[in-house]
Amino acid sequence: MDNRSTSAVLDSVAAMELWHSHLLREKIDQSSLLVQGNRACALGALDAGVRFFAGYPITPSSEIMEAMAYELPRVGGVFVQMEDEIASICACIGASLSGWLGMTATSGPGFSLMQEAIGYAIMVEAPLVIVDVMREGPSTGRVSAPSQGDVMQARWGTHGDHPAIVLAASNVADMYRLTMAAVRFAQRFRTPVTLLADEVVGHMRESFSPELVGRYRLTSGDFDFTPGYVHPDLAREVHPPHILGSEAHPHVTGCTHDETGFPTNDAKKSERFLHELYDKVTNHRDELCLYDVKNEGKGRVCVVAYGSCARSARAAWRLAELEGLPVEVLHLYTLFPLPIEVIQTVARRVEFMLIPELNLGQYAREVRKLAENWTTVISMGKIDGTLITPREILDQVTRLIGKYESV
Amino acid sequence: MPLDIEQYLHTERLPHMWCAGCGIGIVTGAFLRAMVDLGLKREETVVVGGVGCSSRAAGYVDVGTMHTIHGRALAFATGIKMARPEFTVIVLTGDGDGAAIGGNHLIHACRRNIDLTCILFNNQVYGMTGGQVSPMTGWGDLATTAPYGQVETPFDLCRLAEAAGATFVARGTAANIRPVEEYIKQGIQHPGFAFIEAVVPCPMEYGKRNAPGGVLAMLDDEKARSISKAEAARLTPEELEDKIVTGVLHHKVGRPEFQRSYASIVARAQAEAAEQAETLQSESGGAVS
Repeated sequence: MDNRSTSAVLDSVAAMELWHSHLLREKIDQSSLLVQGNRACALGALDAGVRFFAGYPITPSSEIMEAMAYELPRVGGVFVQMEDEIASICACIGASLSGWLGMTATSGPGFSLMQEAIGYAIMVEAPLVIVDVMREGPSTGRVSAPSQGDVMQARWGTHGDHPAIVLAASNVADMYRLTMAAVRFAQRFRTPVTLLADEVVGHMRESFSPELVGRYRLTSGDFDFTPGYVHPDLAREVHPPHILGSEAHPHVTGCTHDETGFPTNDAKKSERFLHELYDKVTNHRDELCLYDVKNEGKGRVCVVAYGSCARSARAAWRLAELEGLPVEVLHLYTLFPLPIEVIQTVARRVEFMLIPELNLGQYAREVRKLAENWTTVISMGKIDGTLITPREILDQVTRLIGKYESV
Repeated sequence: MPLDIEQYLHTERLPHMWCAGCGIGIVTGAFLRAMVDLGLKREETVVVGGVGCSSRAAGYVDVGTMHTIHGRALAFATGIKMARPEFTVIVLTGDGDGAAIGGNHLIHACRRNIDLTCILFNNQVYGMTGGQVSPMTGWGDLATTAPYGQVETPFDLCRLAEAAGATFVARGTAANIRPVEEYIKQGIQHPGFAFIEAVVPCPMEYGKRNAPGGVLAMLDDEKARSISKAEAARLTPEELEDKIVTGVLHHKVGRPEFQRSYASIVARAQAEAAEQAETLQSESGGAVS
């Protein structure tokens, strides 16, 4: 077998894996398949109705792009591999402003390249989904080492004061349902939405079925791809969309602009416009903040976690139960806008909040700002490229409780 | 009586923001006249600009327009064209926007041969930011960031575009604008990537530091240095150095256009998907809807 046919076979194996997971799921009914996190992300996007994807190869996110390259033409969509991440996100914004919804996927270095254009998308209110499968950084770092080092990049990576919607996936089912949630939020709020996944979440294979993703599952009826769509209950907050090629033939600019779409230097108008961009997101914090609480109200320590660390936190809670330690888990799927109420409610009732993260406390700082009036916030950061294990979390919990007992 | 070009012009936004003597307006005028002649539909035409003096031209054109980020206009335009193939998409860019920060997007748009028209206004300087050296500034010329003279060689953008795969390449000057209008028309009608370089004077930021200086002298100079492709073929490389080679420099038909090639991929993939679904249905005894 020559090289060409070998690779054709490999391609078709990959393609069949996706095809089966996509088309056979009604046939398999409630049984599940082994699906990779990145593939589940692509499936979620396709099921939500995403039909435009532009990307650039980067480990550990490339499988999302490969799946889209195969699937999109099959459903009449468009896939383009661009010359870099900047071009990728710009092409997505171009598609979004033409009435489609653009999606791209990348990792830290590519996400950094995209930052200027993310600000543009916020400014022109282009619905957009960006998936960042995080690897160790800064710079090239270690390409296949899991990390959560991009949390603050996702929040503040682009310059200027701006809103951000940032979700975090912790398993394969999350990659599916949170991709769909990201599409819905992007569509409703007409702004870019970032989905963060740790490398291990993108690359792990788990048994998965779209029917069994549980809470926050969306179906095709939750989406509206009408060009310029704005849901009636957001009509007063989201500016009327500028869709290129419509009868309105609008002007779209990244300059601070007024309702005509043209730049303004008027201080009052500029301030109002920037506030409106912010408010349309923060006024809907309740809708945007997705989370789970385990062992609610029964813990002296609450482990606040997201991504792969949330899996370890949930396992640590099970171990703690066996050992009789009072632990609850706040598993966050939405990192931004900050789940202020959710965090403060828990903070009021626990003695410690423990935040395991694959970074040096990027999210712990946010939690501390919100919670330190009521509780002690402990950051548990790790940047060696390995996961935080349930045992490590449990040991920390034991130390915290033990320390308290001995006082 | 309103002029024909006013149908495509945001007259309420005039006077424009360009300096007295600037050549960008001359080329923008040629672009508007080309639109009139072609009868482009406002709701199916999109003009995309990057950032810089020439990119601002997009904001005066009354069709769907985008003022994007620096250097990336072609990438935005690629997304628009792929999403809406029926649109006529034109990119207005400058020598800084298109050849420096956006140079990579330029060569890749050429390589893809996507059906866009790119008009690059070459004024040999960063005008909006106050006269810094650009990749088109001539050897020895002065700029705020080349106070001792530029010691880098400028691109020959048309040869670059041709080598990268553009299938329609033309160059003209503000000093002789009628041919530019014609190149723009041909470029828009050309089913592939069309690149048109328009050499324009910037008396305020370039002319005030470099001979021949004033706008009329600069236009005369453009005229004097312009030669045709046929004339250029007879000159030695040394003789060609300060010349502006004008005309349609490259026109290739038959090379696949990206959007159309992709459409055939979509048709093939959809047929395959339908076939697979049918096989699946017969295997499962019709259990799959």
